[in-house]
Amino acid sequence: MKITAPHLGNVYIAAQALFDGLGIEYIVPPMNNKEALEMGSLFSPEEMCLPYKIMIGNYIQAIEKGADTVLLPGSCGPCRFGKYAEMQMNLFKKIGKEIGFIVIDSPGDIGIKELFKRINRISRNSKRGKIGQFESLLKAVKIMNILDEIEEKAHYLAGYEVTSGECKRLLNSCKREALNTNNPGDMIRVLEGYKRKLDNVKIDKGRNPIKIAIIGEIYTIIEPFSNLFVEDKLMDYGVVTKRRLTPSWWVKDTLLKPTKLNSLKLKRNAKEYLALGIGGHGRECIGEAVLAHREGFDGAIQIFPLGCMPEIVSKSIFPTISKERDFPIMSLVVDEMTGEAGFVTRVEAFVDLLERRRKNVLSRS
Amino acid sequence: MYYLGVDVGSVSTNLVLLDNNMIVVEKIYIRTRGSPIKAVQDGFKILKDKYDNIQIGGVGATGSGRHIAATLIGADAVKNEITSHAVAALEIDREVKTIIEIGGQDSKIIILRNGVVSDFAMNTVCAAGTGSFIDRQAERLDIPIEEFGDYALNSNMAVRIAGRCAVFAESDMIHKQQLGYDKADIIRGLCDALVRNYLNNVGKGKEILPKVFFQGGVAANKGIKTAFERALGLEIVVPKDFNVMGAIGVAILGKEVAEKEGQTNFKGLNLADSIFESNSFECTDCSNRCEVVKLIENNRHIGCFGDRCGKWSNRVKAL
Repeated sequence: MKITAPHLGNVYIAAQALFDGLGIEYIVPPMNNKEALEMGSLFSPEEMCLPYKIMIGNYIQAIEKGADTVLLPGSCGPCRFGKYAEMQMNLFKKIGKEIGFIVIDSPGDIGIKELFKRINRISRNSKRGKIGQFESLLKAVKIMNILDEIEEKAHYLAGYEVTSGECKRLLNSCKREALNTNNPGDMIRVLEGYKRKLDNVKIDKGRNPIKIAIIGEIYTIIEPFSNLFVEDKLMDYGVVTKRRLTPSWWVKDTLLKPTKLNSLKLKRNAKEYLALGIGGHGRECIGEAVLAHREGFDGAIQIFPLGCMPEIVSKSIFPTISKERDFPIMSLVVDEMTGEAGFVTRVEAFVDLLERRRKNVLSRS
Repeated sequence: MYYLGVDVGSVSTNLVLLDNNMIVVEKIYIRTRGSPIKAVQDGFKILKDKYDNIQIGGVGATGSGRHIAATLIGADAVKNEITSHAVAALEIDREVKTIIEIGGQDSKIIILRNGVVSDFAMNTVCAAGTGSFIDRQAERLDIPIEEFGDYALNSNMAVRIAGRCAVFAESDMIHKQQLGYDKADIIRGLCDALVRNYLNNVGKGKEILPKVFFQGGVAANKGIKTAFERALGLEIVVPKDFNVMGAIGVAILGKEVAEKEGQTNFKGLNLADSIFESNSFECTDCSNRCEVVKLIENNRHIGCFGDRCGKWSNRVKAL
């Protein structure tokens, strides 16, 4: 069995560690690129959201590299993502490409028995014992957590770094080096090393950089290709960014969901404007915006794919939040366009706006 | 001393020359026609013929093609359109509180309070209701774009046209036209629809207070201006140089930067005679597969754009 999984930010690094640990062959699809998007749009329903199209491109490019099984987290969720797995299985049947799907849904939706059955389809290919397999899983989760930590730190320090571009360079070489290892233990050592390196980046504490929260639909904010690398751009501008939704957050949130104790802080902050879950991460998005304001951010950028229902709802709530709290929020809609001029203009103008507000009495003290 | 502003937009490339008192001495409006480099050069030719020996103390570039233009001419300030438009409007009138700007591909609303931009919004993904759509409709109806707005003023009754999407609007227009409605009424309906769409989409949730300035190429369209006045119940001011406001704003910013630096990076008007070439290639060094554009002036490599990692664009900076 040669497993592959669609891209989502840095998850492929953790996935590689997991399958290295299990001793199962794992095919990383080529990093998201225009060809993947093109192939994805060719086969996908025209009105489908962007993540779906990119994923299809990932699968096709992974099949070309020899993959025969897709591993996909499901959600049975009340947004289109919940239907991705079924639709994608159908699609591959129609276009006559052989590929198996293993969908990991939460036990609340499919029952614990079915979940174990599905996990077993993967784990029976591993030569390692149950304990060894469990260890590999824990290590992979740890890797993902460290990666998210490193990313968060780099995005934060980019606003304070003395040598501009240092954080971005470290972040990029960290990912490259981590991938070059061939067992989870080595990878963790590499990552810990980079964490220390980031701690030693020379910073100018006297600086007061613009701070922007990145909020919106989870795939399009985590996967840089889909948002035209907005976080990298903001790092170049020397802006501090923070994104709460990360792969580690998602895992924690999904595990805690049955207990209803997930993301309490976000829910509490969203309550004033949106007290109900409306699908996707609409409520979380509102909570993040309010929280960003409370934590003294200058503004927030919301990113979502064209036609994303939950985010359309939160977008329509933002003018109220903006007005009541004097907190600028800009919405960016992403789709198949890869021309960046318009996108860059908006981001640049937004940063400009935040800078000018600060200089003026209008800004919050 | 003179100051130059260059606004390379999707549809038009505008150049303005300001004197020491920020008064427009010359404005040049050229259709970009898909080749921004040529448009800028054409503009420079006109300038060179008329003002060969003047001293230019600062230059700014704006518009969606600002980065390529900045490399081309050696701009002191490179600023986005929003800031540029706001700066130009404030130069004319410190009391401006709202700017409606509709260009070829973009429509924006800029909210100003106390002489500073406090909020703005731009059209999201689609360009429905912007200049190029109106251009197309004028062409389809065989009406010169300059007269398009006047048609709307001659109508007494607006025919309702769907405004949400340009594709819907166009088919709605065609259906109504085939039913025999008057051209003028349809055009007025279209103007109303575009304004409705703008206020619902771009202007959503924004507090539109007077004075309201209407800028950008579409401000030439009296039909749209009147439709805005009707919808908002406010007087709309179209400044004299409405179609080159971006260029004026960035010329002012260019002056500020050049004065601060004590010198200008401007490469001179002789640029008009240079031979520019742009080559694009796909960088295959990693799976990002960036489409890189290489800019060559008289066989000398002057800039690269479009790479993600900075490998190409930084190389030129070092030169």
